[in-house]
Amino acid sequence: MTASIEPTPTAAEARKTARQMRRFDNPWLNPKLFWGAGLLLGIVALGILGRIFWDPDLVFTGSAMLKLPPVGFENLRGQAGTLANPLGTDGGGRDVLALLIIGAPNSLFVGVLASLIGMGLGIFLGFTAGFVGGRTDDVIRVLSDVMITIPPLLILVVFQSAFGDVSLTMMAFLIAGFVWQSPTRLIRAQVLSMRESGYVQMARLSGASTFHIMFREMLPNLVPYLFGSFIANVTTSIVTAVGLEVLGLGPQRIPTLGRTIYEAINAGALIQNLWWWWGIPTALLAVMFIGLLLINLGLDEVSNPRLRKLS
Amino acid sequence: MTSPVLTLKDLSIDFPTPTGLVHAVRDVSLTIQSGRRVGFIGESGSGKTTTALAIMRMLAEPGRVAGGSIALGRDQTDVLSLDEEAMRKTRLSRVSYIPQGAMNSLNPVMRIENQLWDGIVAHEGKTDPGELKRRSDAALASVGLPAHTGRLYPHELSGGMKQRVCIALGVILTPELIIADEPTSALDVVTQRHVMQTLTKVQAEIGSGLILIGHDMGLMAQSVDELAVLKDGELVEHGLTRQIIESPEHPYTQELIHSVPLVGGESFLSPAIGAPSSQKSSAEPLLEFREVSKVYGANTALHPMSFALDGTVPQIISIVGQSGSGKSTMGSLMLGFNAPTSGEVLFEGKDVSRLSPAERLHFRKDVQAVFQDPYACFNPFYRVNHALKFPYERFGLSKGAADTQRAMEDACVAVGLDPDLILGRYPHQLSGGQRQRLIVARALMLQPKLLIADEPVSMVDASLRATILKNIYDLKDRYGISILYITHDLATAYHVSDYVIVLYHGSVAEAGPPKEVIGAPRHPYTQLLIDSIPWPDMNRSWGTSRSADDDVLALKKMAEERKTIFRGEVDGFTLRSFAA
Repeated sequence: MTASIEPTPTAAEARKTARQMRRFDNPWLNPKLFWGAGLLLGIVALGILGRIFWDPDLVFTGSAMLKLPPVGFENLRGQAGTLANPLGTDGGGRDVLALLIIGAPNSLFVGVLASLIGMGLGIFLGFTAGFVGGRTDDVIRVLSDVMITIPPLLILVVFQSAFGDVSLTMMAFLIAGFVWQSPTRLIRAQVLSMRESGYVQMARLSGASTFHIMFREMLPNLVPYLFGSFIANVTTSIVTAVGLEVLGLGPQRIPTLGRTIYEAINAGALIQNLWWWWGIPTALLAVMFIGLLLINLGLDEVSNPRLRKLS
Repeated sequence: MTSPVLTLKDLSIDFPTPTGLVHAVRDVSLTIQSGRRVGFIGESGSGKTTTALAIMRMLAEPGRVAGGSIALGRDQTDVLSLDEEAMRKTRLSRVSYIPQGAMNSLNPVMRIENQLWDGIVAHEGKTDPGELKRRSDAALASVGLPAHTGRLYPHELSGGMKQRVCIALGVILTPELIIADEPTSALDVVTQRHVMQTLTKVQAEIGSGLILIGHDMGLMAQSVDELAVLKDGELVEHGLTRQIIESPEHPYTQELIHSVPLVGGESFLSPAIGAPSSQKSSAEPLLEFREVSKVYGANTALHPMSFALDGTVPQIISIVGQSGSGKSTMGSLMLGFNAPTSGEVLFEGKDVSRLSPAERLHFRKDVQAVFQDPYACFNPFYRVNHALKFPYERFGLSKGAADTQRAMEDACVAVGLDPDLILGRYPHQLSGGQRQRLIVARALMLQPKLLIADEPVSMVDASLRATILKNIYDLKDRYGISILYITHDLATAYHVSDYVIVLYHGSVAEAGPPKEVIGAPRHPYTQLLIDSIPWPDMNRSWGTSRSADDDVLALKKMAEERKTIFRGEVDGFTLRSFAA
């Protein structure tokens, strides 16, 4: 539409709308993105600040009285919560706050690491399949399609029972084996359509190397998709990790949110009304997922301007 | 028969956007009588489609009618005051819309007749199946399609047939007004003529009004009674077609009419400025095809063909053909993007598909291209100067950042762009014409020996086409670059080229100097192509007595014959083609 733009009455008002427009123009200044990132950073901050201001040794069994309630509540035995254990203790006398300080960043770490490895694999395989084509493409495509149909939890349960105790990193690697398929397919599809696009042809005409075309011409345009896919993968990885931990698999000696919930269920915390034992870790997981969801929604708006509203 | 079917009064349409309120249409007043055909002509963004959508009350969000009124039909229904249900009933039964690229608007998983029945049932409720069948067959017959077409799925039809199905869908409820939005923009000239003749015939039969939206002055001249010229949302001129074509009053209308190049008309190019210097460095021909053919699966895109372009004197060779004629395949073979199925493509005596990396870089520098779609040619991630700077540095032409900058600025000026305004921008901030000129500037900066121009102006607004072609022509004239001009447009090929090759189904139909081939065609295919072009000349008849089915039969016969007519030689270019 090439038509005139309506003049705004006063200079001050013009400046104000211009400022609003600028805010609108920069898609990364998105409130959903802000809140989502804030929630996740809050969990990271909990881990860092907690280690400084709270005693992480309280995660060991018997470091306090058993089954104490949070401050301001009473347990079934009539004991009141104390400031020494502000969020109460579990059935083994471990401090719930310390468990959260150590456990929540651990859960996040597994998710992020698994997703990073998965994305790395996905980018590599997706680009290879899309760019090389032919037999290579067939192999990668069939492999990722087959992997998508296999329920990851089933395989992981078998793996973990075979391994016995695993480290957090090992766990992340195992989960990464199940989150590379969707980025592979996504990137392959994008690369296939981009390969024929005008600007890639122009780059070829300009004597660009394959490496240049892949990483300087194509990859920057994939960034919004990659971010979105990454966040979705973090969510999937955390869900998988927590799922395994709640089943009693996964790392046996390292506190994670999932493991805490497993122990609470195992010790009959639900019947004994020890809600702080399983409830607080669950709430923290919910916060984590809401944060990831908000980031994903925000990124969606960043990469798809049509979703942005006119303010 | 002179009651108005549509009255627009001071119609204004606004689009609130992040950068302010855009007035897409401003105070348009117009009356259309029943049985009349009115053409809306203007460039992209002039508000022609927006006006049509407003009549259907189908404006895209966040557009809205800001003022004025729309009265439809003999009873002067106020379209803007109808409720949603009444509007739904009005669409198709009283005003129908044949959208742009209608071939994609058919449901791919439904039979044609079911789609026609949907329209009837949605407006008239449950109808007897026999009655439905009778009406859908009648509608198909009215657009010249046999009744068995109704049992087919869209993918089983050709583009022209799909377009005619859309017309059948538009007229099945005999609306008072038909709006056809660039109904033939995706079709080649032969099919275009057939579809337009069908549309006007059906419209005359049911006696409805017709709004034909388009940008092609020639097509308008041959198909409508009245013309409405729109520019930036304003109606700048309205009147009888003959009157407007023969004595346009508004300067914009004059520009639109003059921007259509005519075969045999006055050239829009300035005569050669001086003897161009040759860039050639070897004794071998610049580009040579040795019995090159290309086969995709069961489909032969290009039959064996040989030619040699000497290149000592820069020349423009045009390759003309419809879609599917193999002309773009030739282009990608020349660029080395595709390997030939048989034969060799040689550049300065070296096989393009067997170059060492160093030779390949040289080949890339020497052979450049301008592609059809200027919107896709720039990476949206970078500012537009990336497309100019990167190859310049990559080919080792740059002597430092300042030199690159100066070269870019010079190239911009040479194609008539202001470097300060253009170079620092992102592609989406530039118009299609500006982008295409930048691509020409890029070619100019790299000083190739050969330029492949693949439909360089087909996606650019009409008023800019001549300028861009002139820029390309200057490359030959001033910089001594040989050019292969691939196009479907015979008129521009006539003016710019030294030699013309008409391709049909992958083999050469007619070849020779443009004055012979296009000025006085001998091959029936070239004749058919030239007959099918709609000229902006009221005295030149477009609709000949020959029926379209004869055309189709004749085309089929020609495809089997693969006859080639040579119409004379020019120095520096030799062509041999192998008949079947």
